[in-house]
Order: sequence, then structure tokens, then C-alpha cells
Amino acid sequence: MPRLVIDGKTVVAKEGTFLLQAAREAGIDIPTLCEHPAVEPYGGCRMCLVDVTRPEWDGWSKMVVSCLFPVEDGIIVSTKSERVMNTRRVVIDLLLARCPNTPLVQKMAAEYGIEKTSYVQNPEPTDCILCGLCTRVCDEMGTSAISSSSRGAGREIAPPFNEPPPDCIGCLACAEICPTGFIKYETSNSKRVIWNKEFEMLRCPTCGRGHITKAQAAWHDGKVPGRYFEQCDACKRKAQAAMAVTLMGGSQIR
Amino acid sequence: MDRIYRVIPERCIACGKCELACAFAHGGEGKPGVSRISIHRRGPDLGVPIVCLQCDDAACVAVCPVHALSRNEATGAIEVDYGKCVNCRMCVAACPFGNMLWDETWHCVAKCDLCHGAPKCVPFCPTGALEYIPADRAGRTPEKVAPGVLRSELIASRP
Repeated sequence: MPRLVIDGKTVVAKEGTFLLQAAREAGIDIPTLCEHPAVEPYGGCRMCLVDVTRPEWDGWSKMVVSCLFPVEDGIIVSTKSERVMNTRRVVIDLLLARCPNTPLVQKMAAEYGIEKTSYVQNPEPTDCILCGLCTRVCDEMGTSAISSSSRGAGREIAPPFNEPPPDCIGCLACAEICPTGFIKYETSNSKRVIWNKEFEMLRCPTCGRGHITKAQAAWHDGKVPGRYFEQCDACKRKAQAAMAVTLMGGSQIR
Repeated sequence: MDRIYRVIPERCIACGKCELACAFAHGGEGKPGVSRISIHRRGPDLGVPIVCLQCDDAACVAVCPVHALSRNEATGAIEVDYGKCVNCRMCVAACPFGNMLWDETWHCVAKCDLCHGAPKCVPFCPTGALEYIPADRAGRTPEKVAPGVLRSELIASRP
């Protein structure tokens, strides 16, 4: 079990974990924007940068992203050194230039004492911080319908060729995980629209509520019998109660 | 898992205390959560409590793409790891009994977690329709089935 020092606190971490996880388990908070326990670490937001050194390095240290740095025995980590804070300030300053109207970015900038960006503000403000959570959760769902496209300043999250993504099943996992609410969708009992793709809903034969898309039911068919998806949850509970009443020999549920 | 959660629907008087206890036990900041147990009323004072069965081979666990649902070996309940859950709600659609719920107030999925070993609904049930008892006492003699049911089953089984 590797023993390391984080902010002066001796921490015994589990073998094979990353620095961010070890620090959080020890109660030391490191800010992140692209981290989520459900998906693989990505190292995209650069907010979790920390300083790593060893006694034999004669005062030299290196900056690493803690979400991707495996714990090592004997390292000394500082999460709030002047160098770390300055680098995070640059990162959040750049993000504020890109997304000046996003509450999440504004809040984080305020925490680091930045009110207005020192860079040229993006003429077309966006809410997307390019954290990649949506694309990674889409990979996790097994669909991989969206990805990041283009490079540099023009980089964006988009379906292939900016057309309705053929592999999307309309599960809304990308919209739900998005920390800034950038991914928009519309859903009703009859249809759902996300990424400009229209989905037909699977409607409960009893109450008519459209609870999932037909594409979702088809995608998950096989993991569980497909008929499980037919009714909505409320009608399934009702059916269960009705069956219990029949078994008791009572009158039907009203 | 030395205790079993048992529901005896014959004893339910549809008072709704379990629903309230559950909603407040799973809420916070003055906002109740969705009740994991629901009573289906079949008369002014007769009801059937419907609650998660904690299936051995559970559909919710099978469909979860991020493995956020797992069994707590101490209590036997399947619990949601809210840190991992991505709110895709496939479990809500997949549960064949409809016992996986969507909590609109807290914007998360919800299921009975047996309150980590001390179900809050049980002490509130005035008639003993809900019990949390040692596993070796959980078996019970089947109660008398009405003749009408047997007849209808017989008719249904005919080719």
C-alpha cells in the first residue's frame, strides 16, 4: 500500500488508485470539471492539477493532473501551492473567456478571485466547456453516437458530420450528465428530439405515457426480456397489486 | 442478510403512514423524497403495499450501463450509488414490477434500500402489514384462498 503525503497529511492509498481519488478519500478537496465516477478519467479540464515532488528531487517538482496520476510510494503532493493556484487561475480565466455567461464557470472563477476574463472574450458565448463528459458517457452506454470534432478554437461536441447521429438511442444520458446544461432536448409522450434526431416513444399500452424511446428498448433488449419495457412503471406497480389481490381472492383494485 | 422484509397485504388498511415515513426518511432540507413504497387502494380501508422485491437476478442491475446498482451484502438490498448514476433511467423502464422510481423533486432514481438495515416504514405500520423479521421466521403458512380464485385459475388453465 503506497504511503504518500498530501498537503502535509500522511495518506495510505489503495494500490492502483489515482491521486484525485486518494486525496478525496482522505478528505482533501481538489476542484474538477470533467471528473465523474461513472466514466474513465480524462484529464481534460486541467482543474485538478497538483504539485508532486520527492525528498530526493532537491526542491524540484512537477505538475500533474491528479485524476490520471497513479499513486506512488513516498511522493509529496501539494494541492494548494502558489504555482498550482496560479495555473488553475489561468485555466479558469481561459474558460471564462470561452463561456462568459455560464453560471458554473462564473462561480468557479469567483472562487479563484476572477471577475472578468483577462483574455479576449469569445464573440459567440457558449455553455459547452468541452469537458467530454457527454461523449464519455455515450461511450459508456455503448452507443458512441457523439464525439468531439475539429481542433483548436473550433473544437466542439457534435454528432458525425453535424447530422442526426445514426447511433443515438435518445437516452438523454449526455444531457443529464452535462454540468452546464448545454445539451438541449425536447421530450413528450409521443416524441423526443435530441441532437436534431427525432425519436418515437414507446407508449405504455395502459396509460399512454411515453416513458422511453423505441430505440432505447431495442438497444437494451436481450439484457432483460423486451416485454419488461412495454408498460410504464406506475402501471406495472398497479398490475403487481392487482395480482396480489387476485391471489388473496379479493375484489379488484379500483 | 439475516433479516427479511415481509409484506402481508391482507393486513394493510391503506393508512399511508409507510408512504409518509418513507418519503421523509429519503428526503432532506424540508423536501420529502418520492415514497419507495406505494399503497394501491382497493377499498376505503383496504390496500396492497407495493415495494421493491430486491430480486436475486435483478433487471435494474442488468440494464445499468455504468454499474451504479449493486447489492449491499449486509442488508440484501440493491442500492444505487448516486455518485456513479448518470440518470439514464433505464432501470426505471426495465424493472418488471415498476419498483424503480424517478424522484422528480430530487432529480434522481429511487428504490427501496431497506434504509440500510432499519426500514423506517416498519415501525409506522399500525397493523403489522410490514415486518422486518429474522430470516428463519419469515416463512408462513399460506392463507386460505377463496374458492372463486381457484375456479378462475382452473378455467384459465383449460385449453
